[in-house]
Amino acid sequence: MSREAGEIEQKYKIPTVAIAGQNVVSFGLGTNFKYNTGMPIRFVAVPFPFSGQPQSVLASYVAGKDMVSGQPFMRAVVDALTRPRTVDDKLSGPAPGQAAPEPRLLAPDTPDNLQSLFMARDWTDYDPVTLPTEEKVAAMLKGTARRPDEIVKSAAGTFGSRRPFTVEKVATVAVMAGAKPEYLPVILALSTRVPYMDSTTSIAQMIVVNGPIRNKIGMNSGMGALGPDNEANSVIGRSMTLIHKIIQGYKEGVTGFASLSNPLRYDNLCFAENEESLPDGWLPLHVQVGHKPTDNVVTIFTGWNFINSTGWAAQHYAPQFLMRDYMSSLSGMGATIIMDPSVAELLKGAQGFDTKAALGDWLSRNVEKTAESYWGNSIVSSMLAPLARQGLKPYAEWLNVPAKSLIKPFATGNSINSVVAGGKTASVWFATDLRPDGGTSIDEWM
Amino acid sequence: MDRRKMLALLGISPALVAATPSFAGTAPAPAAAGCESNGLVTVLNPAIETKLAERVPLAPRLSTLEGKTIYLVDTDWGGMDQNGGILHEMQAWFAQKVPSVKTIYKIKSGNFVTDDPGLWKEIADNHGDAVIIGVAG
Repeated sequence: MSREAGEIEQKYKIPTVAIAGQNVVSFGLGTNFKYNTGMPIRFVAVPFPFSGQPQSVLASYVAGKDMVSGQPFMRAVVDALTRPRTVDDKLSGPAPGQAAPEPRLLAPDTPDNLQSLFMARDWTDYDPVTLPTEEKVAAMLKGTARRPDEIVKSAAGTFGSRRPFTVEKVATVAVMAGAKPEYLPVILALSTRVPYMDSTTSIAQMIVVNGPIRNKIGMNSGMGALGPDNEANSVIGRSMTLIHKIIQGYKEGVTGFASLSNPLRYDNLCFAENEESLPDGWLPLHVQVGHKPTDNVVTIFTGWNFINSTGWAAQHYAPQFLMRDYMSSLSGMGATIIMDPSVAELLKGAQGFDTKAALGDWLSRNVEKTAESYWGNSIVSSMLAPLARQGLKPYAEWLNVPAKSLIKPFATGNSINSVVAGGKTASVWFATDLRPDGGTSIDEWM
Repeated sequence: MDRRKMLALLGISPALVAATPSFAGTAPAPAAAGCESNGLVTVLNPAIETKLAERVPLAPRLSTLEGKTIYLVDTDWGGMDQNGGILHEMQAWFAQKVPSVKTIYKIKSGNFVTDDPGLWKEIADNHGDAVIIGVAG
């Protein structure tokens, strides 16, 4: 919203007012203005909720008050377009003042006070952190050949490109999360994917590690892989949470506005693929996207849902059928099946799916849902309905069929991924709508 | 009195004061070795330094909306015509309260996350006087 309003104002000199919910307004007038746009865009705010509300409710909002100024809504709109610019509105070039400086070291204090400080600054997930002393950070930096002062990236997203962060900063966060030096290359690779996607919806991430480093650093891809029962899985997952908060600058209610958020965010579902237990012909995740088997790769998935098979695979109803049934409740914008090796063996041996891709193809041809249910998902309708109206197939066809018509929401097999992990004690699986990012090299950060 | 002792008497953590934006960077950061003997610890600051964005001025405002052309641009947030309701209510308000205003409703192409520079140019080429863009949440 700020981007569009800013472009119209700056390029065409046309006065513009942006109408938004309080989350967008708060971000637009706050951190986005200070650190990203530099333009004091004029906003008028509508109350929540407004999406999916009947017209009578929307009419009451327009007849009501602007949530920013408190004045009548339409008076605020007229005011935003006609009130002369202030001196501040006319500023160009370097911003007056400075952002708060951040010294490399904090002033010495007791461990308890430092823990309180880290809590107060929202540098934690509210579990105690390991305090990043110079000694601990120096030890952590032995986990990479990179220089401490090397810029990893300029953190884009929450604060634009004005927050370059170094290897030392990532090592500091890694210490706080409780990492061992040998985890650092994975954590550095994770940090290069900042910004992680945020939303007012309950979006979340998942971390999957492939390659020899999984075993070298003791990650769990076997029994209990998705649970809190392995140090490397837990700590690397926690590192991503801290990177999100400290390096990306995510702060609930300030830079992020996830209404319910998602419990997956506590540890970002971090595990390794059980490559050793893949059936013949089933390629590891990273190899599927072009990496060599000996490459070390971390893949970040993003999505919302995580549906458990609940029980083990039944003899009278093969796993792919239950997967198909459960997946009909997903949006269709992508999926990943996380399955125990025993499920993969059943699918390969008893059901004839010779590759992960074959399973993806079958599911894309067999998962169905009604058109009205498909378009009833607001993520789908936000992203794809506008494109459907502009003629993009197959979405344009799905927009024009009767509401109860069955469509196949996973348009292609390659939108459905499979990851194998688990200990073979039960033939269980999860159907998720988590979508992978293509993978990031860990080797570059060793 | 030593600043640290004074803060301690006041029940204030020296580190908390140091990290408060108005004070940050002003507190001395002695060598770690000297601090450990007091039971105090020196740690690295995990925070990333941020630079303020260069300021960009707003466009000049209109002296009045009477007789002007206002584009109401629907970002299509939510898709499926969910988003136009508020803009249509605003259009109706102008028709009733300021009838000399000409309002033109446009839906941005692409979806809510894509840019539509063609529409911005169209508005300028057609002498749009002002833009109301929304709604997002």
